[in-house]
Amino acid sequence: MGGFRFLLPLAWRSLWRNPRRTFITMLVVCVGLWSVLTFAVLLRAWSASSRDVAIRTITGEGQIHAQGYLDDPTVAHRLPPPDAGLMAVLNGGAVSAYSARVRLSAIVQSEYKTLPVTLVGVQPAHERQISVLPAQITAGHYLSGPDDVGIVLGSNLARRLKTRVGKRVVVMVQAADGHLAERAFQVVGLFAGPRTAEDEFVFTGLKTAQRFTGIGSDLSEIAFDVSNDAALPGVLAALERAVPGADVQSWKTLEPLSYAVSTFFDQFVLMWLWIIFLLMGFGIVNTQLMAVLERTREFGLLQALGMRPRLVLLEVALESVFLVGLGVALGAAAALATVSAFPKGIDLGFLARGAELAGAGHILYPVIVPSDFVTYSLMVWVLGVLATLWPARRASKVSPVEAMSHI
Amino acid sequence: MTNVVANIVECRGVTKHYRQGAIDVPALRGIDLSIEKGDFASLAGPSGSGKTTLLNIIGGLDRPTQGSVKVDGEELTGLSGEALADLRLTKIGFVFQAYNLIPVLTAEENVEFILQLMGEAPAKRRARAREMLHEVALDGLENRRPARLSGGQQQRVAVARALASRPAIVLADEPTANLDSKTAEDLITLMSHLNQISGVTFLMATHDSRVIARTRRHIVITDGRIASDERRNSAG
Repeated sequence: MGGFRFLLPLAWRSLWRNPRRTFITMLVVCVGLWSVLTFAVLLRAWSASSRDVAIRTITGEGQIHAQGYLDDPTVAHRLPPPDAGLMAVLNGGAVSAYSARVRLSAIVQSEYKTLPVTLVGVQPAHERQISVLPAQITAGHYLSGPDDVGIVLGSNLARRLKTRVGKRVVVMVQAADGHLAERAFQVVGLFAGPRTAEDEFVFTGLKTAQRFTGIGSDLSEIAFDVSNDAALPGVLAALERAVPGADVQSWKTLEPLSYAVSTFFDQFVLMWLWIIFLLMGFGIVNTQLMAVLERTREFGLLQALGMRPRLVLLEVALESVFLVGLGVALGAAAALATVSAFPKGIDLGFLARGAELAGAGHILYPVIVPSDFVTYSLMVWVLGVLATLWPARRASKVSPVEAMSHI
Repeated sequence: MTNVVANIVECRGVTKHYRQGAIDVPALRGIDLSIEKGDFASLAGPSGSGKTTLLNIIGGLDRPTQGSVKVDGEELTGLSGEALADLRLTKIGFVFQAYNLIPVLTAEENVEFILQLMGEAPAKRRARAREMLHEVALDGLENRRPARLSGGQQQRVAVARALASRPAIVLADEPTANLDSKTAEDLITLMSHLNQISGVTFLMATHDSRVIARTRRHIVITDGRIASDERRNSAG
């Protein structure tokens, strides 16, 4: 009879009968949602950072190798120089950049120390489009071209080798003929990057590396980026067709830890959401149950006056819609304010080493994803209201006569 | 649709037993009672005699153990909870001892609430609420919440609320019990006046001799049975 709009003012005003209790419950919802949304943004930022570190350091969004190279990255598993079919795909619109490399396990030796490294022969102009390392030179300069005979080391590796720009180091690597090739390189530059990259990679010109290892024009790998994430599966398929028998992999396979971090994010947020909801649910049910018990007489009166039980249930549920809705609005606003307080990103310098170990960069750039905000807010709102159905049902089941005698 | 019937209430062989643990306690022992349209009746009796139980059964708030109860021609005993709620809404007005107004609504909204439940249009129900508050002499207090009204004023709002839906009968349970003498007198005069000008039927469970003296019909119930049913020609 007459819809239920008239219940709105009744529900709204009933909410403020006990302002302290209402505020506490709202605060529980607000803090709960704030934590869910803020964590979601931070984890998303962490995930994006982890992906970025993985892709931008050296891997790219995908790589082509000879079969067996990933299990045994030696000179024995080589790719021939790209043919016209492969070049057509690499120069096509879906691939934004690529870099052909020689990449082999090696030993580097200074006057003081010998350490295992990965020798990477690159075409500097191409490499700059795939990797951030050429832009992160801290001393000296990067390689000038594929024929450059200098070597670029990571800063930390140079420190460990006790060498510097201008000095020489000796690199040993297994050559194509099976012998151990050995050559001295002058250190022309030092780069900064993730500690693992600084310790692992040493760079020289592509052709220099090919001559050094005696592999002619052969390659170890071709790293590539795609124009957008959605294009990746198509590019992988096109490359597999262009180089039959080659091993074409996306960064998800090449950097499983980073990929696991990014996928773990979704499950973690969902798990957090449920924990928060359980805590919040207990608070809401308790509050509403108390409110219902306190107002037993009133619910009896409403029914005595002719209000149908289902309208009583609706009235209590509407109170929760307002109560949880306000908490959700405040929680979302607080999360938005928190995230907006870091327009230049969150500097994790104080735990940089830990962040790096977990695969993330030094600075996290929180990005607000509207769909996350809407989805999680609605979930909390709906679940919060559902949690009150039990107290609401209890209110609707009150017998008018018994309720009216309730003091 | 309201049928034109001479008897607004007809109780036939109404019994009510309560269970108190293993003991069966009879509250009503075969009540036969008819309340005619326009009656201004009091229902008196000692505490525990069954007055409130009978009122609750007539009001559709409780169900008899046995017997038949008709209100405005409609048999109550077989009705569902929802149907009883509808019947209470449209055919019965309640006035309670403790006023029982909705504390978060103003005087006018309390009266309007019944009409909202009935689905009346906003303008119509507001006009009716104002009219009823005027009838009970509460002009100017429409926007006050119950906490800012005196006991007498709250009970007047309750009377206005009970009459707003133009019910077949108003059931009042000790309506003057919480009021001082002057306010109680004023309330009785008001209800008597409303009974005379609008013809609405009143049945009041009461101990108050002032109420009993002003009613035109006086029913006494003792130990769950009608002990006497006296009609008087004039009441004040």
